[in-house]
Amino acid sequence: MSTVAPGELAAPAERLRARLSTRFPDPEVAQADLPTIIARPEAWPGLAAFLRDDPEMRFDLFLDLAGVDNLRRPGRPSRFEAVFHLLSTSRNEHVRVRIPLEEGRPGLASVASVWPAANWFEREAYDLFGFDFPGHPNLKRLLCHNGFVGHALRKDYPAGQRWMCTEDDLMVPEFARRESEDADHFETVVVNLGPSHPATHGTLRIVARLDGEQIVEAESEIGYLHRCFEKMSETHTWNQVIPYTDRLNYCSSFINNVAYCKTVERMLGIEVPERGAIVRTVLSEFSRIMDHCVCIGANLVDTGALTNFWYLFQCREEIYSLIEACCGARLTVSYARVGGLSRDVPGDFVARCRRLLDSIPPLLDDVDKLVKKNRIIWERFHGIGVVTREQAIAWGFTGPCLRASGVGYDVRQARPYDFYDRFDFDVPVHRDGDNFARYLVRMAEMRQSLSIIRQALEILPASGPVDCPDWHVVLPPKQNVYHDMESLIYHFKWVMEGIPVPAGERYEWFEGGNGELGFYAVSTGAGRPYRLKVRPPCFPLMAAFEKIIIGSKISDAVATLGTLNIIAGELDR
Amino acid sequence: MREAWDSRLGVSVPARIIDITASEPGKPSLSTRLYLPEILRGLATTMRHFVRNFVHMGRLPTILYPERKRGYSERFRGKHILKTREDGTLKCVACYMCAQACPADCIEIVAGEHPKIEYEKYPIVFNIDMLRCVMCGFCVDACPKDALWMSRNYELSFFSRHESVFDITKLAEKPGAGVKDGYGYRPYYPGDGTTPPTDASVVPVVPGDGGRQELREATVDEKRAP
Repeated sequence: MSTVAPGELAAPAERLRARLSTRFPDPEVAQADLPTIIARPEAWPGLAAFLRDDPEMRFDLFLDLAGVDNLRRPGRPSRFEAVFHLLSTSRNEHVRVRIPLEEGRPGLASVASVWPAANWFEREAYDLFGFDFPGHPNLKRLLCHNGFVGHALRKDYPAGQRWMCTEDDLMVPEFARRESEDADHFETVVVNLGPSHPATHGTLRIVARLDGEQIVEAESEIGYLHRCFEKMSETHTWNQVIPYTDRLNYCSSFINNVAYCKTVERMLGIEVPERGAIVRTVLSEFSRIMDHCVCIGANLVDTGALTNFWYLFQCREEIYSLIEACCGARLTVSYARVGGLSRDVPGDFVARCRRLLDSIPPLLDDVDKLVKKNRIIWERFHGIGVVTREQAIAWGFTGPCLRASGVGYDVRQARPYDFYDRFDFDVPVHRDGDNFARYLVRMAEMRQSLSIIRQALEILPASGPVDCPDWHVVLPPKQNVYHDMESLIYHFKWVMEGIPVPAGERYEWFEGGNGELGFYAVSTGAGRPYRLKVRPPCFPLMAAFEKIIIGSKISDAVATLGTLNIIAGELDR
Repeated sequence: MREAWDSRLGVSVPARIIDITASEPGKPSLSTRLYLPEILRGLATTMRHFVRNFVHMGRLPTILYPERKRGYSERFRGKHILKTREDGTLKCVACYMCAQACPADCIEIVAGEHPKIEYEKYPIVFNIDMLRCVMCGFCVDACPKDALWMSRNYELSFFSRHESVFDITKLAEKPGAGVKDGYGYRPYYPGDGTTPPTDASVVPVVPGDGGRQELREATVDEKRAP
């Protein structure tokens, strides 16, 4: 929790205000969990350029744009808000920009020219809130289909309303409509990839125009797996959202559980006991290994190397068995709870972890042996799908893809949470930015994760609570519920009303399987979220994909899609 | 090769960043370009796995489902079970806690008055729509009467949507009949995790209860049991 008294500003916010006042009259800077700039929509384009370019600001990485509908939120004068979150990779600092918007036709200038990453985030806000972005290059629906009427995340939109999508509503890119080509391009052909294509790992669609073998134009369409995660979380209690977070990045669902629960815990101002936090760390790192295993394994299958898939999935199956022994499910774990874990780990947890630590490295070594010098892999991976350092930042990359482009930003070290500051581990960085760099970074990260787990098991207390002892937040022990009236009341209140999370807003960010996983939560003090926005790490990756593949072949594009690690579950939410 | 500050990468994060760019050659070696030597070397790796699996058939990572099944833990979240008392009646008192806690909204309960006065209330209808259920186990955690468990049975498939709604006859535990695949997810008791609670094991601790603890201890009725 912030230690700054009300009305005062912490040092970063004070610096921000001092610097802003050189250019903007009367800048409004507030101190919340992050330094928050409150700006009028007219000032936004100038402010955006200033925030990116000013040598003392340099907020070069666009993280997130969350719309908020204030219809049922007390104490807010404007109907809508656009809430931006920005990151300075060079100064490791986050900032929030809040722009109040009026009812009627809420709009603000597009900043897709300042941060290319904003392109899809603005389309999403247009789709779900109906915000208008004058100057946007391609403003159309993104997550909902074209037959959709209304804007789903507005508070006056009923949660159960559905719309049919007919064949006439299919997305056809502008370039695919152009029938006639000039004489030089008469042989170009439009190819449709997906949504049900084995290489798309989920359901997404890519339409590309080919000149011979080369892709000259491409556009991707997502939303086939959209299941209104954010709208549904507004109709469920804080704890009931946990099973929904499993389905974001389903390859590493435990990391999502932990990230969400930690966001709510920080809103509540509670800490998880040491044992609970370290168990979370151990299983999060195992989940990260699984995530990378799936990414690399599936990617290599797409390039024709099936054997590696078996080796990597062997690691994954064994980790799944460990997680199943802890919580009873393999894929959709729902293990973390706000304030701790649903139950303590089984008695043989440490022994099982140690067995896994011994069995995983030989399999990784075998994959390395098969892949690194194979000529097919070499030619599909080396120099293909190159993303330079500048491009990666501009496109909003985080996680292994950003590190493979030469930027050493890892949330676990940039802002350590749980016990990451006590572990001795490295952040592997590669400067090439191609498919092979992303492969190498992921392999190196898996080995670092094993090292973190080894250290975490050393400091794991042999016994002790895993839950924070606050019965407003966690369920009382079961035997007390059976025999003790007071506990039964706490139990009923917990189930019926949910956790009383204090009113306020918070953005929390964690290192997910493929990048910075952020949760922006708004509470009005009720037992359920007022607004919950997830910042999915692969959303900016997919947005950039259609630009990365220009000039490459379809089969290279498939390999590139695999190394970026697109998880449709969190992409579409 | 550890730096607190890497000027080449331009990062001021106090991170220990290792640059792995130089760890791999930038150009393919001769054997890579000739293709076959590396393929043979790769085949040696896969053959080693093959021989190991052939010799140790019992330790094969794959399972011949459905002839053989993976063994799951006692926490596995499968088909639900409605627990019964010794006289065969359902332990459930139709308090709607499970239906309330369900994030998928898949439990339907209709409560009725039980003819036996000490049971007071029981479910006339208790339906779980298995097509909606997400197997999160929140209902088990929410049950204040130890009446709802889960089994390790995960083979739930149906030929029609009507069959997917499991009613009391499908959910209730048959006395003496046993449970298919065994018990799975169940209420968790701190301690060894499985010992059913007795009155003596109750350690009433309410954080920050402002002295209400003594009052409760003085008035707790020892005879009330679920």
